[in-house]
Amino acid sequence: MSAGVTGSTSTTESDLLLYVAHLDVGYGDTQVLWDVGMEVRRGEVVAMVGANGAGKSTLLTALSGLLPAWGGQVTFEGQDIARARAEHIAALGLIHVPQGRRLFAGLTVEDNLRLGAYTRRAGTERGIHEDLDRVYALFPKLRERRKQVAGLMSGGEQQMCAIGRGLMGRPALLLIDELSLGLAPIVVDDILAALDTIQKREQLSVLLVEQDVQIALERAHRGYVIENGRIVIQGSANELLHSPAVRAAYLGE
Amino acid sequence: MQPIVDWLLLGSFYAAVALGFSLVWGIMNIINLAHGVFIITGAYIAYQVATNLHLSPFLALFFSMGMLFALGWIIQYGIINRVIRGPLLVTFLLTFGLELLLTDTLQNLFTSDNRFINSTIEGAGINLGSAHISLVRFISAAIAIVLTAALAAFLSRTRLGNAILATGMDRDAARLMGIDIRQIYALTFAISAALAGAAGALLGQMQAFYPTRGELFTLRSFAIVVLGGLGTPWAVVAGGMVFAFIETFLPVVLPRVGVGYENAVAFAVFVIVLLVRPTGLFGKAFYSQ
Ligand SMILES: Nc1ncnc2c1ncn2[C@@H]1O[C@H](COP(=O)(O)OP(=O)(O)OP(=O)(O)O)[C@@H](O)[C@H]1O
Ligand SMILES: [Mg+2]
Repeated sequence: MSAGVTGSTSTTESDLLLYVAHLDVGYGDTQVLWDVGMEVRRGEVVAMVGANGAGKSTLLTALSGLLPAWGGQVTFEGQDIARARAEHIAALGLIHVPQGRRLFAGLTVEDNLRLGAYTRRAGTERGIHEDLDRVYALFPKLRERRKQVAGLMSGGEQQMCAIGRGLMGRPALLLIDELSLGLAPIVVDDILAALDTIQKREQLSVLLVEQDVQIALERAHRGYVIENGRIVIQGSANELLHSPAVRAAYLGE
Repeated sequence: MQPIVDWLLLGSFYAAVALGFSLVWGIMNIINLAHGVFIITGAYIAYQVATNLHLSPFLALFFSMGMLFALGWIIQYGIINRVIRGPLLVTFLLTFGLELLLTDTLQNLFTSDNRFINSTIEGAGINLGSAHISLVRFISAAIAIVLTAALAAFLSRTRLGNAILATGMDRDAARLMGIDIRQIYALTFAISAALAGAAGALLGQMQAFYPTRGELFTLRSFAIVVLGGLGTPWAVVAGGMVFAFIETFLPVVLPRVGVGYENAVAFAVFVIVLLVRPTGLFGKAFYSQ
């Protein structure tokens, strides 16, 4: 998994799933992201790491359309989505699993999962059923809890539900914000193993945003380091893991 | 016996009055000050249809619901959606303006004369021991309960109903599911208005109405929803029962104090409930099932 591809010379147009260039984003009149450029290829796991408040969540929120971009370019599957609305972007298969899970706390696990498939039209009950089975096979805990109110589950179960809900949207690219936050390491390992299975099987692309640099870079092909709203380092996950700058700043060495 | 029958029938009717108000408040966080005038508009539509087309007022109810649904959709999609992210005060003022506008329109169209929808089954009823059950009131109560059950089932069992609940719980997360919240808000507001239209058609057969009568029903809806609690359609029935209980039994218990003071006492209870149990008697943290 760590056989990262650094250069983009070998990349063909059709490999490129997400392409971001010169992206500026902010809240009100405070700019948070500055001239961000990055890309995700088909089947690739990319890590985005950085400290508290660096702008990681802001980037994901802008990519999924919840936050309008001030300027710059965002292309997904060849379509310009820099100014598209969130509900349109979700329907294209760019699915955002937000920080803090943001489940529909008063609804059951299964209702949450079904809402993940909302963009699929009526008459697709069979397909939704198959996808539910797929998610349940991946996270057997969720099948046990399917009738339970989502807000009453443990943090780990909620994270599984949030990722499962994302998978129900049949993503081409899954953006996952702070998967590991607040969870026991053993739970994180379980969830990452499940994600790894489905990622390989379905050639899913994943953009993994983490404060826990080790976790993210161990699983990714490539990575970016974001500081104060700017991308400051990029490279193969291996390179980043062994880069003295990264180790000093984020791995406490 | 008679007061108990009166209480249950009135309480059920009150559920219909406040059902839509509760939905819009719970899902959209809007206190719709035009809710009462929606009810009165529904009463006028039922009146016109019943009188001019010689239909049973209970059939006219469907016209009221349909027209109010359309009106609600247009108002939400065209106007309120533009300020939905604004502060609570903005939507408050907007629905207040809407209330004034609609009340004036009704006044111009229908004058401020009292109206009453004459039912073909006026006066019919059954005697149950010492109590008399008016057929009009009984059917109205039954319709109110059916509407509550239908709303509850729609919200918890259907894809669209779930999308409404999800939008109420977390608007941004709902958008990430691909839910177009502008459509969901328009639908929610339209359903709320349609329920008000139904309440109006029932109201018009039981009491006289006139354009400014709506204010009273906005106020009552508010009290009923706070008493029962936001959260589920059935909590509205509970709130309606509590409100109707005070109105019905106060004159029985305290004949001197009671007459004319029902509203004051109901609102006093309402303030006490708010202090003791801020989520209402039967409220949940979320608008669900
Ligand atoms: N809704 C908001 N309104 C205004 N400023 C915000 C908002 N959300 C985030 N910010 C600011 O934007 C900057 C980046 O925040 P962001 O949440 O993107 O960081 P992050 O890298 O995800 O941090 P964390 O690791 O804590 O999740 C911070 O300075 C933060 O204060
Ligand atoms: Mg964050």
